[in-house]
Amino acid sequence: MSESGPRTDGGTETGTGTGAAPAPTGRRLGGAAVGRWLFRAGVGVVFAFLLAPIAVVVATSFAETGSLTFPPKGLSLRWYGEFLGSSRWRRAALNSLVAAGGTTVLATVAGTTAALGVSDLGGSREAAVLGLAVLPLLVPGVVLGSSLLVFLGEFDLQQTYMAVVAAHSLWATPLAFSVVRAALSRFDPRLREAALDLGASPFRAFFEVVAPNIRSGLFAAALIAFVVSLQEFIMTLFVSGPDTRTVPVLAWNSLRGSLDPLVSVVSTLLVAAVVVAVAVGAAVAGLERLATDT
Amino acid sequence: MSDADAVGEGRPSRPALPSLPAVTRTRLLLAPLVLFDLLAFVVPMGYLLRVSLSERSTRQALVRGTWSVDGYRFLLESSLLRRVFVFTVLFAVVATLLAVGLGTAYAYAAWQASGAVRTVLLAGIVMSMFTTLVVKLFAALVVFSPNGVVNDALVASGLVGTPLRLINNEIGLVIGQLYVVLPYTVLSVYSVLTSLDEHLVEAANDLGATPARAAREVVLPHAVPGMAVGGVIAFAWSAGAFAAPALLGSKSELTVAVEVQNRLTSFEYPVAAALSVVLTTVVLAVLAAGLYGLRRRGGGHDV
Repeated sequence: MSESGPRTDGGTETGTGTGAAPAPTGRRLGGAAVGRWLFRAGVGVVFAFLLAPIAVVVATSFAETGSLTFPPKGLSLRWYGEFLGSSRWRRAALNSLVAAGGTTVLATVAGTTAALGVSDLGGSREAAVLGLAVLPLLVPGVVLGSSLLVFLGEFDLQQTYMAVVAAHSLWATPLAFSVVRAALSRFDPRLREAALDLGASPFRAFFEVVAPNIRSGLFAAALIAFVVSLQEFIMTLFVSGPDTRTVPVLAWNSLRGSLDPLVSVVSTLLVAAVVVAVAVGAAVAGLERLATDT
Repeated sequence: MSDADAVGEGRPSRPALPSLPAVTRTRLLLAPLVLFDLLAFVVPMGYLLRVSLSERSTRQALVRGTWSVDGYRFLLESSLLRRVFVFTVLFAVVATLLAVGLGTAYAYAAWQASGAVRTVLLAGIVMSMFTTLVVKLFAALVVFSPNGVVNDALVASGLVGTPLRLINNEIGLVIGQLYVVLPYTVLSVYSVLTSLDEHLVEAANDLGATPARAAREVVLPHAVPGMAVGGVIAFAWSAGAFAAPALLGSKSELTVAVEVQNRLTSFEYPVAAALSVVLTTVVLAVLAAGLYGLRRRGGGHDV
């Protein structure tokens, strides 16, 4: 369904864009052309609005001076050196990797097994599990963070890695679940049936028949879980402590103080991580599916 | 086929396992997700509800074992908190309308484009979606501040005399929130557009419709379920907005989520919990209404 093949030339020739902006019929072609260009310019502005600020931040990370100006005065890697020299930031980077690793494992396993099992339920029980799986995504992060803080606080488990991984998995698991479910919907279940009929154990059938066929979906699920964990900070703000604080949380705390060039450096590194992740994901699963399956 | 009936009603394609009864297999497969959601979501949320029904105290964050509706009464009686609620809802509505409008236009442009343009538009939106919120908001702060890039350019070009105030006010809040929700509205509209047969647009053009009319009368109706899903997500997240208001707003633009954190850090657990419960209820009610409306319209599309 999300797989739309290469478009036919006819479609693009005749359909090149104009907006939903009302263009009175009966106008000369010139009016339509103006509308078309206005629409394109508008979309261009939205594109720039979303991405240009990130480019500006990347540029400021190479500044020589301590103030955030654009274009930066002089180029240097000075702030990258400061970043590597800071034990606080190194610790945060390590914490981020631990949290993302834990979240990837938990979310991918829970999401994949649930995606495999849920379609067997059918009816209202399937709907109930789907609802439970997706619901945490729709509850405000501050509320989830507060509930984990207050609840885990009863057992002195707040500020542990476990708390951070649990918080991140609340959002990563539903995404992993729906990505694997979308991949499974393209998988022919008769293949698995055949493997079982030929005497394969259920585990062998999964690892040798099902998994290779939904490989790109499994990979995308793990990747998305990793990225979600890497970028989450609202719940983490509530459940992490000085020893478990992740990079975005430390960046947030530094932002509340003053505009620190180190935050530009950290932002650049996080953006680079995401560029790599999206590029790898697009190469493995296809950009179209990355955009429509989540 | 013979064991299909053991699996479920009218689902012929899934066989039961030879060794494991089908029901056991299904339960085992669902166990990790259900257990996790119970432990990390249902029980903590239940506990938060319980905390919201505890007595307020000036001496400790939480008086265990007490029952009281003081937290909720305080929400009703405090004019500050009433203002915070009204402001949050208005803010969420504005952010949602903008996100759905801009998102639909962007999705339509990406759907219409081909080749490199389409790849760039899609990659841009996926990039933005996956970029850490902190980075996006920090970037917005740098670009839209009084001495930021946008104001420098506006002043230099002579369009404005003095820098515009784009942050630390309502405008900043909405700008910041768009970075959070716009990628999702774009992608939810885009994903329904991919199921639209392009030949319908061609047919409309052949029958003499202008491209704008074809967009309005053929593409737009098809996009409505995606716009609704995107709008519901945008509203839910904007009503619970925390980061954009905390960073790009001032003290006079408090949202409920920011207030929850304020009350938590000043150890007023029952009030913080009551705020959370009411906020979650409002968000879920809007979601339920949105999904109900979609289902009645007949357009099924899950998030």
